[in-house]
Amino acid sequence: MNPIREFNLVETRRHFFGRAAGGIGSAALASLLNGPVGHASNSASRVGGLPELPHFAPKAKRVIYLFMSGAPSQLDTWDYKPKMQDWYDKDLPDSVRNGQRITTMTSGQKRFPIAPSIFKFNQHGKHGAWVSELLPHTAGIVDDIAVLRTVNTEAINHDPAITYIQTGSQLPGRPSAGAWLSYGLGSLNENLPTFMVLHSTVNGGFGGQALYARLWGAGFLSTRHQGVSLRSNGDPVLYLSNPQGMSVQMRRRMLDELAELNRDRYEQVGDPEIRARIAQYEMAYRMQTSVPELTDISDEPAHVLDMYGPDVKKPGTFAANCLLARRMAERGVRFSQIFIRQWDQHGNLPKDIRRQCGIVDQPSAALVNDLKQRGMLDDTLVIWGGEFGRTIYCQGGLSKANYGRDHHPRCYSKWMAGGGVKPGIVYGETDDFSYNVIDKPLHLHDLNATILHCLGIDHERLTFRHQGRDFRLTDVHGKVVHDILV
Amino acid sequence: MPIPSHWATFVLLVSVTAPVGNVAAAEKIDFSRDILPLLSNNCFQCHGPDEEQREAELRLDVRERALADRDSGSIAIVPFKSQASAVVERITTADESERMPPPDSGNKLSDDEIARIVAWIDAGAPWGEHWAFRAPKPRQLTKPVVGWKQNNSVDHFIHISLQENGLQPEVEADRRTLIRRVTFDLTGLPPTVAQIDTFLADRRAGAYERLLDRVFASPQYGEQMARIWLDAARYGDTHGLHLDNERSIWPYREWVISAFNRNMPFDQFTIEQLAGDLLPNPTLSQRVATGFNRCNVTTSEGGSIDDEYYMRYAVDRVETTATVWLGLTAGCAACHDHKFDPLTQKEFYQLFSYFFSLTERAMDGNALLPPPTLKVPSAEQLALKTRLQDNLRIAEETIEAVFAKVAYVDPSVGVELGALTRRENIWFDDVLPEGAVKQGNGTEPWKFVSSAEHPVHSGENSSTRTADGLSQHFFTGAKSKLKIAENDRLFAYVFLDPKNPPETIQLQFNDGSWEHRAHWGADKTFGAGKNNASNRAMGELPELGKWVKLEVAAVDVGLKPGSELNGWAFTQFGGTVHWDQAGVVSASMSDKQLRSQFAWEQFRKQVKRPAVPKEVQKILDIEREKRTEDHRAKLTRYYVEHINPDTMAVVKGPIATRVAVQNQLKAVDKAIPATLVMEDRKEARQAHILERGQYTEKREAVSSAVPTWILPTAENAPANRMGLAEWLVDPSHPLTARVTVNRMWQQFFGIGIVRTSEDFGVQGEQPSHPELLDWMALRFIESGWDVKAFQKMLLMSATYRQSSRVTTAKLAADPQNRLLSRGPRFRLDGEMIRDQALAVSGLLVGRIGGKSGRPYQPDGLWKPVGFGGSNTSVFKQDHGVNLYRRSMYTFLKRTSPPPSMTTFDAPNRETCQVRRARTNTPLQALVLMNDVQFFEAARKFAERVMIEGGEQTASRLDWAFCTVTARRPSPRESARLLAMFASYQEEFRKDREAAEKILKTGESARNASLDVVDLAAWSMVTHLLLNLSETITKG
Repeated sequence: MNPIREFNLVETRRHFFGRAAGGIGSAALASLLNGPVGHASNSASRVGGLPELPHFAPKAKRVIYLFMSGAPSQLDTWDYKPKMQDWYDKDLPDSVRNGQRITTMTSGQKRFPIAPSIFKFNQHGKHGAWVSELLPHTAGIVDDIAVLRTVNTEAINHDPAITYIQTGSQLPGRPSAGAWLSYGLGSLNENLPTFMVLHSTVNGGFGGQALYARLWGAGFLSTRHQGVSLRSNGDPVLYLSNPQGMSVQMRRRMLDELAELNRDRYEQVGDPEIRARIAQYEMAYRMQTSVPELTDISDEPAHVLDMYGPDVKKPGTFAANCLLARRMAERGVRFSQIFIRQWDQHGNLPKDIRRQCGIVDQPSAALVNDLKQRGMLDDTLVIWGGEFGRTIYCQGGLSKANYGRDHHPRCYSKWMAGGGVKPGIVYGETDDFSYNVIDKPLHLHDLNATILHCLGIDHERLTFRHQGRDFRLTDVHGKVVHDILV
Repeated sequence: MPIPSHWATFVLLVSVTAPVGNVAAAEKIDFSRDILPLLSNNCFQCHGPDEEQREAELRLDVRERALADRDSGSIAIVPFKSQASAVVERITTADESERMPPPDSGNKLSDDEIARIVAWIDAGAPWGEHWAFRAPKPRQLTKPVVGWKQNNSVDHFIHISLQENGLQPEVEADRRTLIRRVTFDLTGLPPTVAQIDTFLADRRAGAYERLLDRVFASPQYGEQMARIWLDAARYGDTHGLHLDNERSIWPYREWVISAFNRNMPFDQFTIEQLAGDLLPNPTLSQRVATGFNRCNVTTSEGGSIDDEYYMRYAVDRVETTATVWLGLTAGCAACHDHKFDPLTQKEFYQLFSYFFSLTERAMDGNALLPPPTLKVPSAEQLALKTRLQDNLRIAEETIEAVFAKVAYVDPSVGVELGALTRRENIWFDDVLPEGAVKQGNGTEPWKFVSSAEHPVHSGENSSTRTADGLSQHFFTGAKSKLKIAENDRLFAYVFLDPKNPPETIQLQFNDGSWEHRAHWGADKTFGAGKNNASNRAMGELPELGKWVKLEVAAVDVGLKPGSELNGWAFTQFGGTVHWDQAGVVSASMSDKQLRSQFAWEQFRKQVKRPAVPKEVQKILDIEREKRTEDHRAKLTRYYVEHINPDTMAVVKGPIATRVAVQNQLKAVDKAIPATLVMEDRKEARQAHILERGQYTEKREAVSSAVPTWILPTAENAPANRMGLAEWLVDPSHPLTARVTVNRMWQQFFGIGIVRTSEDFGVQGEQPSHPELLDWMALRFIESGWDVKAFQKMLLMSATYRQSSRVTTAKLAADPQNRLLSRGPRFRLDGEMIRDQALAVSGLLVGRIGGKSGRPYQPDGLWKPVGFGGSNTSVFKQDHGVNLYRRSMYTFLKRTSPPPSMTTFDAPNRETCQVRRARTNTPLQALVLMNDVQFFEAARKFAERVMIEGGEQTASRLDWAFCTVTARRPSPRESARLLAMFASYQEEFRKDREAAEKILKTGESARNASLDVVDLAAWSMVTHLLLNLSETITKG
């Protein structure tokens, strides 16, 4: 850019922000503007957010959420149940199920035969955490993560369950966690959206349980807080590219003229929204450069790419998305959420979960290691897991080599790392059937309360009044689980 | 604790810091406005209507309870004696453990709030109901403000509050601004240059009113009003949950447009939508209207439990109905008594009961039309249907006449059947049996050939296949099955290519299993190595280069008499093979036997084939002499129509005619759209109070009823949705009219008199102009709920017609323009922004109503989120007119709504929404800069500029500028834009290729008669104009 023009723009911006302070204009800039240029992660320079936040010193400045949509089986990954080997094809005792509701996909089954995991578990790390053979790379980072085995929910089907864990309510209409963070904490950068969402391919395509825009939506919060998808096909951010035939220079000239005319109009009518509009066009222009720079991984050294595995060079894969998440973290994106689907293994579980774990294992571990090597794990919270767990009993035909599992809400496993989470622990205990929690239940509201806590937020005090009521991510529930925090 | 003496000064403070419109003296404290919100915000959480949560048995929302002696000996509120009131002690104590509200509640009373409460108690603690729950009362107007122009009483109220707040109104906006404001507000579209010129040229008195009348009468008025209403109705084109499949409820959208255009009174509008099906002899249109409460999201997710969803659907309908008509947040009372408003949990479930007894199913089946639904034929379709039904009647009469003429007499009654012949009964030839699903190796499972180069045995074609190894084509699922009888032999004709003979050919038969096979040649096909029913060896390949009939006894391939085939496979190993005509060789009647009904009946007993309809079979099973007259007639009729070749030939023609007409009728029926409607079960489903809103926790049974503390029910009111609807529009209802006029105010002025247009409860915001709101509500009711008349009154007011320019001083005094010291000014809704671009470009297709279309949308938005089996997991963009229809017709997939709309704050329509945010973000800039829809509009707009804008560059610019802003550019603006045009012109002259390229955006054709360089340069100018802040703002 022409240095004189650059100077003028900066001047213009200062001029506007200076005058708009406290007015509608500056409020409208909340989540997306006016941070330091480049690799910003200094909360002192954030934009927008609520003045009283953070409520206390945060451990984490940002979150990377690896969402396993469809619900991975805890029984075949993290919740080791060796006694079940003797229970093969025996009926789940009524005393264990205890009349709990189950989905109508299996409630008609005559029997609930136990399907022990066919996968081998081994102990890893300093404390000997049990990890399935399906996750060899993640097993290598158990000393850095906290395995949570007693996460639970009330929802028994995907749509309500994933809506629940993402928004705190099983019904549509509430803001997602990322939107809450954008609303509460504002942005750490001026070149990129503060909440970004990435979708991962499986074997080159998409499929599996549905996702919904509400999962990264803003609900009743301002729509500026909704997640922005970073796409692997077409424009990485929607409408980012100029129309065909329009050069960068043409665009720049058009925007300069536009700003001049808008400024003239502002002088005439005095509406501060016009000033905000001018600033938004500048931000849009900057995004046209900063987003391609973000997604261009050609500057990543080979040893880093190797960590994430061979898929990293295929855009849209989980591996590529994990690397992008790290790059976003470096650039001040507050919350990035990667979705990968096809974990819904009602049948053929052994084959399908092997595929899924094969896709996520190495990149997930690489992400944690990569952040750690850069000294960023301390203030980046990484979360891995799905919307509920799966049943010990088999859905459909059971054989020694094959089985399926239905939805199980009463306990399942997730892991978290960095950002104030105690490393190298295994939290909570389930019964021999991984059916009920015996010790330290961790309801999803507790989980969300704890995540907010890591970011310096008291979950009971991050509220938004809507329809006369102060709403929260954790509804009227949630307890911070200090045991898993450093 | 003693009250500090300086509190007297706090009392005075009340007048200084009280909200807008407040009055000066403490004795004029209004309980509802000044005190109730304080109590509600700070106390009701624990001391309010919710019994479960109530602490210390103290209730502060009811006067008697607040003033009562308490067990502790203290009294919460002692009128005239703040010092003796426990409340005051607790809100002022320094002891944190005693302090109310408790510090950990996050609530805190400010000093002046405390002072206000003290002053109120000392004034006797006058109680009152929350303002919105009292019926509005007519008020005496005070004197109008002298010297300020007033067009009607709206101005009167506004001016009084302006005067009180030391503000002056703005002058009337110029005519160009006014016509743009009015046209956008009422139609969602900009005025055309011609409309502007007409308005400017109308110098007679009343020009503005004439403008309003014209715009109110335009059909786009209904579209604009409907679009806004559809946010409240949560209208979408998909189910919303899980699969999010397509749903057909757009006829309801059409109904809303039409209702507004007909200016249906709002009470009728309410009744038809909530209970149109319960009107006496409801019309089609009145039933379509009930789609309002079928717009809610539904699911069919595997594993879901029905009871849970019956409950959720009814809850959604209560919440929506309460938000739209009552301005109440009823949903809170689904789990417990409302914490702030007097709505009890029981009352919630009484409302719930109205919506709990639909004939709908909990699981929507992911169907386009989950019942109850209604066919909605157009007038043309109805006419066509009537005509076809006439034709059908004629065809049937003709058939009857023909049958009567046939008068069949059996020539051989009582004659023994005698010997049978064997004949081929063909199962399929050129066409596979009905229901057959074609399958096979390769991309073309069944390849039918009919040209001269290919051998054909019978009919028009044969099927063929060339293979390297094992390969086949086959079908399963035939509905007209092949029934096997004693001694039957299956057959098919085959032709083996002598130049490329196969090693093996095989026939396979499916009666539910494929384990019935026969092969000829080498044993290289399915079941190789066996020689039994699952792969019978039939010997050598047949002769090459000629049609040969293959035959195998059914019993040899394990098919017993009575078996029924639904599938058949032609299998080969290598070579090129042609297949034709297949079926079964079986015992059959001779030509003579066929002509005797008596013979046929005997044959049926013996051979049981071919299958006859059940009804006919039943008659056949009855002994001859025991059959009634009716039986005999039916049987003979069947025989004449289906068996006897002579009579069949006679009736064939008329029957074919009937079938053709029937097919046409079916096609018309299929084309008639249908929509989701309300319909109650015959026996109501019992509703219960659900503990904590859990469907499994049923408590007391309740029946349908309204909360009578709002308004008692009329005598003889029916306990169904009709009773509810009539109650809502009862002229004495305190909420419905207020809530409705407030929404209309919000539409035109940007913010409602009550900002929280969805919440008029105790927690809602106070009205900025309570008297005006009441006056308008009464006026609206008195007018007979006349929507257009009401809106016209708003638009006629001087308040609406003010200039929207703002000075720094006014901005500081009233940043959000709640007092209306200037005209409304805010960003257009997303739909209006896109529609404007389409309109000015000339691309807009104005067709009103109909199914939604799928205009441009970036690739790859649905796939990453859609369920594989969903019929909306792949976005397929439309072409042609559907690219250019108004945005309210853009297909709305609720789990992935159109991004160019949601970026501008359009809701995803999963839940009822009566108020939209208005953000200003960089993503909006990107849409306007780069969305193909907008750049295409710019280049088509440029074509219009060159054609309609005159010959001179300056006149063209004037025209273009006026088209988007309704005004002429200033000299400075002109100069800048002309310079910009010239520089782009020069650039494109040097780089013609870039000009060509930039004009390729979008699917509409470029006007080739226009100069490429000029058009490209103009496109850059129009592109800029469409991005102007002014263009996307109503000012």
